[in-house]
Amino acid sequence: MSALTLHIPTVETGRLILRGPEARDFDALAAFFADEGRSWGFGGPKTRNEAWRWFAGNIGHWALHGYGFWTVETREGGQIIGIVGLWNPEGWPEPELGWVMFEGSEGKGYAYEAAQAARAHAYGSMGFTTLTSNIFPGNARSVALAERLGARYERDYTNVTDETEMAYRHPGPEALAKAEGAA
Amino acid sequence: MTDLAPSIPVIETKRLILRGPEAEDYPDFKSTFTSYRARFMGGPLNPYESWMLYAAEIGHWQIRGYGMWMIHDKASDETYGMAGGWKPAMWPEAEIAWVIWPDRAGKGFALEATHAVRRFLYQQKGWTTAVSYIDPMNLDSIRLAERLGAVKDSDAQSVDGSDAVYRHPAPAKLDGSQLAHGIEMEIGHYADPKFKPEGWAID
Repeated sequence: MSALTLHIPTVETGRLILRGPEARDFDALAAFFADEGRSWGFGGPKTRNEAWRWFAGNIGHWALHGYGFWTVETREGGQIIGIVGLWNPEGWPEPELGWVMFEGSEGKGYAYEAAQAARAHAYGSMGFTTLTSNIFPGNARSVALAERLGARYERDYTNVTDETEMAYRHPGPEALAKAEGAA
Repeated sequence: MTDLAPSIPVIETKRLILRGPEAEDYPDFKSTFTSYRARFMGGPLNPYESWMLYAAEIGHWQIRGYGMWMIHDKASDETYGMAGGWKPAMWPEAEIAWVIWPDRAGKGFALEATHAVRRFLYQQKGWTTAVSYIDPMNLDSIRLAERLGAVKDSDAQSVDGSDAVYRHPAPAKLDGSQLAHGIEMEIGHYADPKFKPEGWAID
């Protein structure tokens, strides 16, 4: 047997569970990627085949890096509402904190709750010392969430598809702890 | 904690050892998939696409319970390419696929590895049939499919209309058959050449 093991931690928040991706999550992800209006800020739209390769690639991302996107579900009812995680495939400027909410799950503060928990886990047991979030110009919802999380615009950069994206820098572990202490 | 441990079996052949794809093998994969060699496999890919495809090869094992093995030299452990089962979303059927790094072609490694993974998929995974989707311009792969006993199946659905479907012989047709002996004899010649094949390189 080859040594390909994935230990994906489960992270729990007040209302949500962040867990490793499972095959049954795919349809919701494919529906998200098929919807250009929702997925344009996340490399979409993608066909079902392309979405499947991204889905499989995310599992491999966990294997290769030890982190990746979690599936986010509600504690109550176990509804799959989106994905949140840490992403750094080849060609990425540095590891980023990313989030996606599926249809019908916005406006409830879920993305904020999930992203905050993912970031805390990254800074805690995963040992990250800094994180960015990459956001396409015009993606006002994501900018608002990044800013609510305390991230600030840092610079523009050219991404793997030769488009311009904005890098937002999150407060580091110490700044975050200080801010939480003051609050 | 989600413990995903797709236990990827190791397959040994005369000259080769096939293992699951590992992080340290990625540079070899990237060299081929970002090169012109990958033109029949959706490439050449940029580094991001190449890395994501490699990650997807690993995820495929988790999702499907089978996937592509990395082909290593049994003695030196260096990699020669990949072979295995492949079925991303929208593939009409499960495929037997292979790729050999361009500077390793012509030594029968793809034949030896693919023959072994096909037997494994038939015997251990219960496959009763298998196809290979091949670009009609990819003569090396078509030749390999035919050396493996696959024949063009014009009635089978292709992935997107631009590829030819080759149907592999059913498990029973590989069980002690003349075809199987012929494949093993050819592999044997590569492993222990009684003559040096000349002319064009074959995988």
